[in-house]
Amino acid sequence: MRRIVPLVTSLIFAGALALSLQARAASSKPILIGLDTPIQLQVGKDTVAAVKMAVDEINAKGGVLGRKLAYVAADEGTDPQLGVSAINKLTSDDHVNVLIGGYDSGVTLAEEPHIAQSKTIWIGVGSASPNITALVGKDYDKYKYIFRVNPLNSALQAAQIVDFAKHVVKGQLGRDKVAILGESAIWVRGLVPVLVKGLEANGIKVVYQQLFDETMNDFTPLFARVKDSGAQYLLTILSHANSDVFVKQLYEARLPMPYGGIDVKSMTPNFCSRVNGAAVGETTVNFITRAPITPKTIPFWDSFVKINGRAPVYTAPGAYNSVYLYAWAVKKAGTTDADKVIKELEKADYLGVSGKIKFNKVHDDIDGTGYQNLLFVQWQKDCTRAVVWPQSVATGKVVLPPWVSK
Amino acid sequence: MLTVLIYGAVTSAILAMLAVGFTLIFGVARILNLAHGAFYALGAYCAYSLTAIFKLPLIVAALVSVALVALFGVAMERVLVRPLRQSSLAVLMITLMVALTMEQALFVVFGSQSKNVPAFINHPVNLYGVSLDGQRLLALAIAVCLIGALWLFIQRTRLGSAILAISQDPEAAQYMGIPANRIFSLVMGLSAALAGAAGVIAGPFLSVRPTMDQTAMITAFSVVIVGGLGSIPGSILAALVIGYSQTFVAFYLNPEWTGTVSLVAILLTLVLRPSGLMGRAVGA
Repeated sequence: MRRIVPLVTSLIFAGALALSLQARAASSKPILIGLDTPIQLQVGKDTVAAVKMAVDEINAKGGVLGRKLAYVAADEGTDPQLGVSAINKLTSDDHVNVLIGGYDSGVTLAEEPHIAQSKTIWIGVGSASPNITALVGKDYDKYKYIFRVNPLNSALQAAQIVDFAKHVVKGQLGRDKVAILGESAIWVRGLVPVLVKGLEANGIKVVYQQLFDETMNDFTPLFARVKDSGAQYLLTILSHANSDVFVKQLYEARLPMPYGGIDVKSMTPNFCSRVNGAAVGETTVNFITRAPITPKTIPFWDSFVKINGRAPVYTAPGAYNSVYLYAWAVKKAGTTDADKVIKELEKADYLGVSGKIKFNKVHDDIDGTGYQNLLFVQWQKDCTRAVVWPQSVATGKVVLPPWVSK
Repeated sequence: MLTVLIYGAVTSAILAMLAVGFTLIFGVARILNLAHGAFYALGAYCAYSLTAIFKLPLIVAALVSVALVALFGVAMERVLVRPLRQSSLAVLMITLMVALTMEQALFVVFGSQSKNVPAFINHPVNLYGVSLDGQRLLALAIAVCLIGALWLFIQRTRLGSAILAISQDPEAAQYMGIPANRIFSLVMGLSAALAGAAGVIAGPFLSVRPTMDQTAMITAFSVVIVGGLGSIPGSILAALVIGYSQTFVAFYLNPEWTGTVSLVAILLTLVLRPSGLMGRAVGA
C-alpha cells in the first residue's frame, strides 16, 4: 500500500502532464491553410499572395483563438491528376485544417471526392461550375465541406450577362443580334444554355454560337463566321483560352462589331498594354476593381499593389475573403473542428472586399444588391478602364471599338 | 475562297518552317530532336526580350534572335547530343530534357502570361479585295524565301553537297574527308535557326507562352511523319496538305476539329504508306 499510493499519484501526475503538454502543443500549433492552386499561373500566384496578406494581417493582430495562421501551397495545375495529388498531399501529409483554392472546374470536380473523404473544409476561389456545389445538395453528409466564396457560379454569371446585354448591348448600343464564342470548358458548357435562353427571353437573338478548344491559337476562321452571321455584338466566354491572341487577331481582322463578356485574362491590369492596345473597346467582367464596392475594397487593393507590385486578379479577393471568413467562423465556433465551423459558415453574412458573402443551401455564394456581383469594365482610350455596368457603380459610358462605326 | 486560299498558304508556310528543320536534322544526323519546339519558343521569346526589354529595333532583334537560337542549337548538339549519339534513345531523352528545362525556365523568367512580340506590319493589307493581316502575309513571304534559300544552299553549294553526302553515308563521307561532326553541328544550327525564325515571324499573331513548344513539336512531328522522315520536299508537301486541310476544316466545317486533322493525317499515313509521302533521303 505504501508503494501503491505514490505510484498511482505519479502515474496520474504524469498522465496529466502529458495531456497538458499535448494540449499546449495543439494550441500553439498554427492553424494550417492548404492552398490547392495552379501556382505557375497568375490566378494561382495571386491566390497565394492574397492568402499570405490575410494571414500576415490576422497574425499581426494575435491570430485566431490564440493560434497563428500558416499556409502551405500545392500545385494543382490544370490537370485533374495533379489536382488530386495536391489534395492528397495537403490533407494526408500536411494535415491542413482548411483548403482554399481552385481554378479549373474540371480539376475541382476531380478533387471533390478526395476532399470529402478527408473531411476538410474546402473554400473555392476560382472555379465556376455549378456542378461543384451541386454535390452538397445531392449528398450533404459527404460533401458538406465544400464552399464557394468566389467567383459566382457560371449560371449566375450568365444571368448577369443577360442583364448587361439587355441594358447595354440592346439598351445603350441598340444591337439585338449577338454571336457567342466561348471555350469548350465545363463551366462554359453550363453557362451558354442559360445565357442563350435569357437573351432570347429579352428579345436578343443569338445568330451564331460556337465553342472552341481552349488551346486554339488561330481564331480568324471563327471571326469570319461571326461576321457572316449578321451579328451586331460578339459575346465572349473565355478563361483558359488564348485571350491575348484572340484579342490581337480580332483587332487585326477589324471585326465590325463591339464585343465583350467574360475574358478572365483581360481582367489583369496590364492586359491592354500587353497586347499593344488591341484590347481597346473590349468589355469584360471583373470581380473587383479599385472602386469603393465596400469600405474594405480600396484598402485591400492598395495593400495588395504595395506588397506585390501588381494589381490583383479575380482569385485574389476571393482568397483574401476566404481566410478572413474562415478565421471568423473558427472564432465563432471556438474550435477548428470542421463540423462546428461548417455550421458557422452556413450562417455567415460576412462583409468582404468585393461584397457581402452569404451561402445558399448548397454552400454557393449568392449575388444581389450588396452581395458579390459582376462588374462590366471596358478598356477605353489609352488602355484606361471604365466600369460601364451596373449603373450604380459605373464610372463611364460604353464606347464602340475605334474601327467600328455606329 | 480567296481568304481560305491565302490563310491556307500562311498556315502551311509556318508548318513547313517547323517541319523542314526537324526533318533536316533527322535526315542528316539521324537525330529525333524533341527540343525542336523549344527552338521555336526561344525564337519568339528572344524577339520579345530584345524589343521589349533591350529596346532594339525590330529587324535587328529578329536577326539577333535567329542567330542566338542557331547558336543554342549548335551548343546543344556539341555538348549534350554528340556524346550520346551512339544511342538514339539517349538522344531522345536528352533533347526531351532540354525541351522540358527550357519550358520551365521560360515559366520562371517570363511567367505564365502571354507576351506580345511586335509585328513588322501592324495593319491589314488589301489583296484582290480581301483584307488580310499584314504580318501573316509577311510570314508567308519570309517562309517561302527561307525554305527556298535552304534548298538552294543544299543543292548548289559545296557545303550543301557535303550535307547530302553525310546524309547518304556518314562513314564514306568521312573517308572522303568530310568532317561529320562539323556538318552535324552546322545542320543543327540551320534547323534551330529555321524553327527560331518561325517563332519570330509567327509570334506576333499566334500565342507566345512558355508552353508554345508543345504545339510546335507535335505539329512538326505530324508533318514530318506524313511527309517522310528525312525528306525536305516531303515535309513541304505534307505541310501544304495538312495546312490546307486544317484551314478548310476551320472555315467550312468546325474550327474545333482542326486539331484532329493532323492526327487523322498521321493515322492514314501509317496505315497506307508508313514511309510517308516522299521517304527519308534529304533533298531526294
